[in-house]
This record gives sequence, C-alpha cells and structure tokens, in this order.
Amino acid sequence: MGAPLECVVSDCRSHHDLVIGEPVEQELPIIQIRNCLLVSIQTELHDRLALDLQASLMERVRTVNARGVILDVSAVEVIDSYITRILNDIGKSVRFMGAECYIVGIRPAVAMTLIEMGVELDSVHTALNLDLALERLELL
Amino acid sequence: MKTVEKEVGAILAGTISSITQRSIFNRLGGLATTPIQQLTAADRATILSELENSVRLFARSNSSQLIASIAKALSAESGASPGGAGGAGGAGPAVLAAPKKLPIEQEKDIATARLEAWSEAVRIGLSKFASVKVATAVSELARNIVFYAGKGTVELRSLKDDRGVVGLQIVATDQGPGIPAAKLDEIWAGTYKSQRGMGKGLVAVKKLVDEFQLDTRPGVGTTVTCIFRGER
Repeated sequence: MGAPLECVVSDCRSHHDLVIGEPVEQELPIIQIRNCLLVSIQTELHDRLALDLQASLMERVRTVNARGVILDVSAVEVIDSYITRILNDIGKSVRFMGAECYIVGIRPAVAMTLIEMGVELDSVHTALNLDLALERLELL
Repeated sequence: MKTVEKEVGAILAGTISSITQRSIFNRLGGLATTPIQQLTAADRATILSELENSVRLFARSNSSQLIASIAKALSAESGASPGGAGGAGGAGPAVLAAPKKLPIEQEKDIATARLEAWSEAVRIGLSKFASVKVATAVSELARNIVFYAGKGTVELRSLKDDRGVVGLQIVATDQGPGIPAAKLDEIWAGTYKSQRGMGKGLVAVKKLVDEFQLDTRPGVGTTVTCIFRGER
C-alpha cells in the first residue's frame, strides 16, 4: 500500500434537510476512493432511484475523472431480471464515459439463481469483493 | 406470553445495543408488545419488513442470518399451542399454514412479497438456495403486476404431497390488460424487449420453478401459477 487512501463522501445533502415526519428524497451516497467511485446498494432499487444513481454516477465520473465505478451488492439478497437490467444499464453508461464498472459481493445463492434464470450481467465486470475490484482497477 | 419485543430482543442481543433496539421496537408501535401467538400473517409481514431494514442498517455482520432467525421465531410460535415450549426446536413436520394472500399495488409491495415468500420457503424447510429462487420468482411476478397491471395479488400456499415432499405454490393474479398472443410468442422466443425491464421476467420464472402455468386473457387479466418443490 502506498499513499493513504483518500476518502471523500459526497451527496450528503439529504442530511441537512432531514425533517422528522417528512419523507426525505432518497439518494444513494457515492464514495470516492482515489479515482474510483463506490456505491453500496443497501436499499430497494426502484425506477427513480436507479435513474438518479445512473445520472449522478455519470456526472461524478466526468468531474473526478474516475477510472472505475464499483457497485457493492453484498447486502442485496435477491437480484431479479429488473435489477440485472439496471446494473447492466449503469455498466453501459459508465463504459460510454470511458470508465469501467465492477459489481462486487454477489452472493452465491444470487449467482446460482441468475444462472438458472439465464440472465446475463454482461455490461459490467464482477469481482469477489471490494479489495479485488480496486486491485484490478489499479492495474487497468 | 412471549412478545415480539422479547423474542426478537433475544435474537438481537449482543449484535444491536439495547438503546438501538428500543428505537427499532418503537417504530413497530403496538405490534412490539403483541404476543407472538396472536400475530396475523399481515402483522408478521409488517414486522419483518420493518425489522429487515433496521437489522440491515444496524447489525455489523450476518444481517441476513439474523433476519432469517427472526422470521423463524415469529412464524414458529404462531402455529404452536399456547403454553408449549418455546425456542426453535422444530417439533417434527410443520403444520402447513393457511395460504397467505399478499396485495401488490406499488413498488414497495414487491419487497414485502419477496420477503414473505422467502421466510415462508425457509419455514417449510426449503434449502437456502431454493428459498432465494422462490424469492426471486415472486419478485419477478410481483414486478410484472406493478409494471403492467397496476395491482393484483400474490398468494403463497404451502403444500405437502403424499410422500412428504414439501412445496410452495405461488399464484400471481391480476385484472390487468393481459398479454396478447403475439407478444407472448415473442416473450417465449426471448425476443421481447420491454421498456422498463429486460422482458425476460416470465421466462426467468419458468426456468426457476418446477411447475409453471400461465393463463392470460387480453382485457381480463393474467394468472401465473407455479410450484417449487423441496428435495426429498
């Protein structure tokens, strides 16, 4: 390990407008580690949230010259064809920008299910965990 | 009487601090102090979806294992005779419960249906992998209802055949627009592309389940019936 990892948390604005009793506009935090962007998916991805995530990831890829985007799905217990489509779409758009997208932490049962369903995660790379994804992005 | 609070608290002890537990139970309102035996299926679904979010948020590790234990504790007790010994001893084959009918009207119902299906699969003794498959299939079917029909229901029915093999039947019903024959051909051929999804939901479900039946009438609605079987 060389220099210490620079870690910047962005998109915290919801923290400010948090008013008890009022629904807060949900937004997934994007964390920057060196020149990679990391998103940990811990919540149900619905249409709006997925599109917002895709847009803000693309914007951030551009502004920070990101080399890679890593989506951590280790907390996601079920990935169906719709979520797969979202992940592939994000992968494609990130690739169009010239960066690479890694999905990390797919659970064994989820992987088995995806294979049986015959859906492909073909627009993203996968890595076992965050460490390995970072390692591979460093080598690109 | 074992209340939800007591039983779940015992499972979370050591993982989530008692202060945090307090606020989690506060969110459940009156359900937290309800004896587990008096819970209805709808109550359990509410509690589980609420607790699932909290456990994910606050537990540092193995949140899914904790959620599974909670699901087990909540359902194991409900069918038992009052005053019977508690705990997850698992006294012989489970009594197969009454069917659960879950309304599907908005996106958040998809997550609820998925969780309910998963905990039901675990409860009747399907393997961990099979339970994820069940949850995935229910997710696809519920999503189809929300996307294409607006609203409908998913019904879960636990089965046991004469050889003692357990199974779970899923019936997804809606009164939506139905699927026209031409589109159905495209779907099965794998050439159908939907605006919102991959257009592969039904094909995926068919591949996941052991038995699959589709009844769709344009203008009337769609019913998908499928069965998962456990290993003998």
